[in-house]
Amino acid sequence: MSENGMKLLQDQLNALEDNIKGDTVPAEDVRAFVALVKQFFGGHFEQTAKDGEAFDPRLYGELGELAKFINAARHEFADVSPGMLQEEQLPEASDQLDEIVKTTEAATHKIMDSCEQLQGVNQRIRDRMMTIDPPLDPDVAMSIEDALNEGDTHVTNIYEACNFQDITGQRIQKIIKVLREIERQVFRMVIVFGLRNKGEALEEKDRTALAETEAALLNGPQKTGEGLDQDDVDDILAKLL
Amino acid sequence: MAVNKNMRILVVDDFLTMRRIIINLLRQLGFNNVVEAADGKQALDKVHEEEIDLIVSDWNMPNMTGIEFLKHVRADEKTKAIPFIMVTAEGKKENVIAAVHAGVSNYIVKPFNAATLKEKMSKVIGEF
Repeated sequence: MSENGMKLLQDQLNALEDNIKGDTVPAEDVRAFVALVKQFFGGHFEQTAKDGEAFDPRLYGELGELAKFINAARHEFADVSPGMLQEEQLPEASDQLDEIVKTTEAATHKIMDSCEQLQGVNQRIRDRMMTIDPPLDPDVAMSIEDALNEGDTHVTNIYEACNFQDITGQRIQKIIKVLREIERQVFRMVIVFGLRNKGEALEEKDRTALAETEAALLNGPQKTGEGLDQDDVDDILAKLL
Repeated sequence: MAVNKNMRILVVDDFLTMRRIIINLLRQLGFNNVVEAADGKQALDKVHEEEIDLIVSDWNMPNMTGIEFLKHVRADEKTKAIPFIMVTAEGKKENVIAAVHAGVSNYIVKPFNAATLKEKMSKVIGEF
């Protein structure tokens, strides 16, 4: 802002203050001040250029280059069919991943159902052994019990292995969130570049996607070799607890 | 003193699969008196409705996270002494420290096995 312009504005402001009568300011004074402000800012670039102040004509050139870049990007973006990407391909990818989670979850429950059945069978054999009359030879009974215990150990191993569903499920949910964020950003670009006119849907969709993004509480399962393993956690606990 | 295997254990996790895994592992360890909740809010209701002797809770859950649930448990005179084991897939140092500061009794990193669960429970409720 030039020194002359600043002085003019300050003078007008002072005059305005001087003319305050009670709680009112004459309307013509306010109009004059507003006109001056509009005139000042409207002619700011021209004035500063005349004054030889901070205005840099290279700015126009850079803005022109930026406009060209945006225009080129807009055309390139249009070539990749963003509408199809945002409306079909990305949601389809998310849906497919969602299906994987559901399918593995269903399979895991089926595996666990069978494990529970197996445990039930083992228990029934134990119960039956207790009621056999005459009782089984102790060595035979012991070997059967050992076999049942071994069976139980394998069932436990299966339960432990079912951890995979929780871990993979969380990882896939993380990927789905990323895909939805990409979908949201593509949609935003579609609107910004005017490639499709569905501005009204933007707000609701944005809010949903944003809420989902913010809902990520922790970052989810750590990658193999990253983060702390149980031993590391135990070391920390040993120091703190 | 011998551990009472009839103690009531609250298992909290939003993944039904994970709740089933933990409940079955607990059963393998001889603990059959288990109640479950799908998030911190449900779990908080349970600790107020029932006599709970041990909590095994996930961290990452909707509605109320495990750490928020832990803070509520520790803030209430009636529930503050309940042993609380946090189970999470994320092993970040700052999370472990935050859990300790909130009053966690022990911390298990997923995936885990029955031996780890037994070891952590033993540290909290005594050898069994």
